[in-house]
Amino acid sequence: MKHVLGDKRAIAILLGPALLVYTLVMLVPVIWSLGYTVFEGNAITGFTFVGFDNFVRAAGDPKVWDAVLFTIKYAVVVTVGQVFMGYLMSLLYVFVLKRSSGIIRTLVFFPVVLPTVAVALLFQKMFEVAPTTGIVNTVINAFGGDSVDWFGSGANAFLIIAIMDIWRSIGFYGVLLYAGIVEIPEDTLESARLDGATGWSLVLHIVIPLSLPVLLSAIIFSVNGTLKVFDSIIALTNGGPGNSTSPLTLYMFQTSFSYGEYGYGSTIALLLTIICLIVTVFIFRSSRRDLTKA
Amino acid sequence: MTSTTVSAPGAVKAPERRPRPSAGARRLRRFLVKLPLNIVVALILVITIYPLFWLVISSFKTNDEFINGDAFALPSTINWQNYVEAWTTGNMGQYLTNSALAVFPALALIIVFGTAAGFALEVMVWKGRNAVLLAFLVGIMVPGQMILLPLFTVYFQTGLSGTLWPLIITYTAIGLPLTVFMMATFFRAIPREVFEASTLDGASIIRSFFVIGFPMVRNGIFTIALVQFFFIWNDLLIALTFTNSSDLRTIQVGLLNFTGEFGATQYGPLFAAICINVFGTLVLYLVLNQRVMKGLTAGAVKG
Amino acid sequence: MTRPMRRRAALVPIVASAGALALLLTGCGGGGGGASSAATQFTYLINSENTTIPGQLTALADDQCKAENTALPLKVETVPQTNLDQKLQLLAGQNSLPVMYAAGNAPDLTKTLDKSGNVVDFEKALTDLGAIDDIEPAAVSTIKALYGGKFNVLPYQYNIEGIWYNKQIFADAGIEVPQTWDELVAAADTISKTGVTPFAASGEQGWPLTRLVGDYLFRDLGPDALQKVADGDAKLTDPEYVKAAAAVADLGAKGYFGQGVGSIDYDTAAQQFLTGKAAMFYMGSWILDSMNNPDANKIGSDNVGFMPFPAVDGGKGSIDEYPANVGLPSTLNAKVYDDKVGAWLGCIAENYGSAALQSEGSISGFKANTEVTGVAPLTQEIQTTISKSTSSVLWFEALFSTKATTTSQTNAAQLVTGAISPEDFMKLVQADLDN
Repeated sequence: MKHVLGDKRAIAILLGPALLVYTLVMLVPVIWSLGYTVFEGNAITGFTFVGFDNFVRAAGDPKVWDAVLFTIKYAVVVTVGQVFMGYLMSLLYVFVLKRSSGIIRTLVFFPVVLPTVAVALLFQKMFEVAPTTGIVNTVINAFGGDSVDWFGSGANAFLIIAIMDIWRSIGFYGVLLYAGIVEIPEDTLESARLDGATGWSLVLHIVIPLSLPVLLSAIIFSVNGTLKVFDSIIALTNGGPGNSTSPLTLYMFQTSFSYGEYGYGSTIALLLTIICLIVTVFIFRSSRRDLTKA
Repeated sequence: MTSTTVSAPGAVKAPERRPRPSAGARRLRRFLVKLPLNIVVALILVITIYPLFWLVISSFKTNDEFINGDAFALPSTINWQNYVEAWTTGNMGQYLTNSALAVFPALALIIVFGTAAGFALEVMVWKGRNAVLLAFLVGIMVPGQMILLPLFTVYFQTGLSGTLWPLIITYTAIGLPLTVFMMATFFRAIPREVFEASTLDGASIIRSFFVIGFPMVRNGIFTIALVQFFFIWNDLLIALTFTNSSDLRTIQVGLLNFTGEFGATQYGPLFAAICINVFGTLVLYLVLNQRVMKGLTAGAVKG
Repeated sequence: MTRPMRRRAALVPIVASAGALALLLTGCGGGGGGASSAATQFTYLINSENTTIPGQLTALADDQCKAENTALPLKVETVPQTNLDQKLQLLAGQNSLPVMYAAGNAPDLTKTLDKSGNVVDFEKALTDLGAIDDIEPAAVSTIKALYGGKFNVLPYQYNIEGIWYNKQIFADAGIEVPQTWDELVAAADTISKTGVTPFAASGEQGWPLTRLVGDYLFRDLGPDALQKVADGDAKLTDPEYVKAAAAVADLGAKGYFGQGVGSIDYDTAAQQFLTGKAAMFYMGSWILDSMNNPDANKIGSDNVGFMPFPAVDGGKGSIDEYPANVGLPSTLNAKVYDDKVGAWLGCIAENYGSAALQSEGSISGFKANTEVTGVAPLTQEIQTTISKSTSSVLWFEALFSTKATTTSQTNAAQLVTGAISPEDFMKLVQADLDN
């Protein structure tokens, strides 16, 4: 039977277009760009070969390490937040709201549709301190606290970015994870209940393990977005205050195109790509392991 | 979608599709019902829906009201002028057309190419498919900023600059990795025997893909299409880099038109433009919604 | 067990050929595009935020410069300001910059473009055309100070900067216009006691705050203070330089900028002043547009005063040296400069000054060769100040690299909120100047 599914011509026809476009427009330019890591200069001045200077410089550049730290911190916090909140939401849909969850799912999904510029403006206004007091500070004032300048320090600004990016994607992950949980056979749940599993212990021991594959997909989606975060940071804080909320993508973009150091920018991009690769291989292995199980 | 209202307590007790709830289900339900459920649901809805309302009221405000007034207060007058300005200064009509012309062809290509590749990588059996799948997975992770300079050079040298093709091509390429990967996952849920059986009837495997495989992952396709749509529709970076004339600008680039040289922003028209943008996509979303919810649900992103 | 092995084996040649390909591609790509040929259109790439220049040029093309426009039709393309530098880099890499273009967000980029032969020498071009006298000498000296002695950009704008103040608030608080920094601080103190915010400033933009640091340096150490830093003869971390940052940080520490200065954007700051919520506003003369607009200016334009940045006691600088700039300037592409482009240049030099002043009240570095009527009094006042001033200074980041400029402006808010010390602020900027 194998030969039908191993038809080389069919494989070429099916895979060919995607592979061709992907190779020409993604892989080749990426490799091309990585070639610049051993050059210095930009498109205006031309490039000169500098060997491994860029790598040495990156290793000693505190801004690079700040950006790496921020990127990782952001990716971990936001991925965990998005998937966790989404999971809670999906549990709410499946076990509490049940059939009536349809409309709620639709409505909660809504923030996904909003453009980043709009979401960022909303959060700036909510956390505003002057000239008008935003909602959050109004609440703090009502409890007798002093207004906080939320965008004045890196730690606070990070908090708001994280809240914003988690908030806007809860609906998406809620629905995505709902898919996995709702498919768990009722029999399985029932027999677990007969064994005395209830409430959270049911969720912990039965629901989570059985929805692991979909959880993995959710994590792939999420990590994919968070490691490469760019738009929402540009729109909300532009990396500030100082460079305390600059991820690698932003630092790379500035270095390449604003500072005119394309070679060095490519080196930073390589660093990001390596981080991404490690994560990719990690996820890939887990997902393949899952395949062999199934 | 049911017509049961959200906050009605009856919603909780709505009849279940599944065969009779067990004692355990009741206990679980009782455990969760203890939470002031309605409040939680109402709160969730306020948190997610309020921004829409906020966008709308902001789009009617004057700049002075927006900056100096309470950002969450109602506008003093309904200021339609903002919409007029958004449409003219923002040139929204042209930009919407450009966005549609760039996004939909790219979306179609992503879906057709991606689904076919997913099929080839998951259903077909051949050596090296793991390596190719890994190669695609790398693409999910590569930061888009990296491919800008090489692609700009190529598009320029091949004379594609000055058309929407650079956008269509780049969007297709960037959308492919995730689509291929997700499609492979969708196909994993379908037993290979289905395709083997169909080819026994004399159909070629490619025919099987279009006649059997494609429809079977239909909901998954809608899901991917939606995710990719929002990603591409909201893209700014690529649209900024590869459009070299204002005739080619997409709607997201158009939103930048409301900022002045030294940092001044016309908030009213900006919000009006955002509203035009959001309501366009919202209509599309509501139309596709049933499909998508089903897709995310039944599309079975599972092993 | 076999699968990972095979995968690894398959990857080796892929990685190897990828490496080879990378070097090959980079080698080819670095060279960049083809030769430029004579322009068929007067193409102009400008930041989309600037609507004045395209509007004026379009008007000129229909009127005074009709002949030039027939020979070489004007075609304006715009790009958002944040993306301008990237676009210039990409276009220059392909040797296909337009005939006229906005020359980049920082002078640094313009200098790079000049080095690679993309920028016309206007000193020569305008002299050849006999139009050099159409340019205000003050504008020329500002441009030369910016670009290492070269006349590299066209002064479509000429702005001076200073402190705008609310006459009513000053009168109510019984304050005279401050002449020295100490008087300014004292005035701010008096005003803040009346419950009015002394200074409106946008920390989100950053530059309105670093301008104060720069101006303080010019007043204290003299007009060459930052040239010395650029030349490496002095460092920002030197105590006399840190003193300026400390002086500005002190204003923040005392709360003179009001709350949340770091997230206040340009409009909010302007609105604070124009609605009477703030007494003073450091800003350039481009703000005249809003000052003269009764819809925006709720305090009335006759209630607005303009004072120079005050002197520093014992300082070497003079209060008469106004900080000046040419906005985000435009330049001509030397690679496609020919007689037709020259004809346009001559026509612009002759007519732009009066046209812009007449129709938009916009002050440029081109002389107003025909009489202009109906100029708003406040604009008139600034124009007089400009024509009377004999020398000017630049701004804090004018001679810095783009990177140091970004660092300076993004950290400015932290300087005034006290999140970083003046020493650390100067250290951060100096670090980027050093590499």
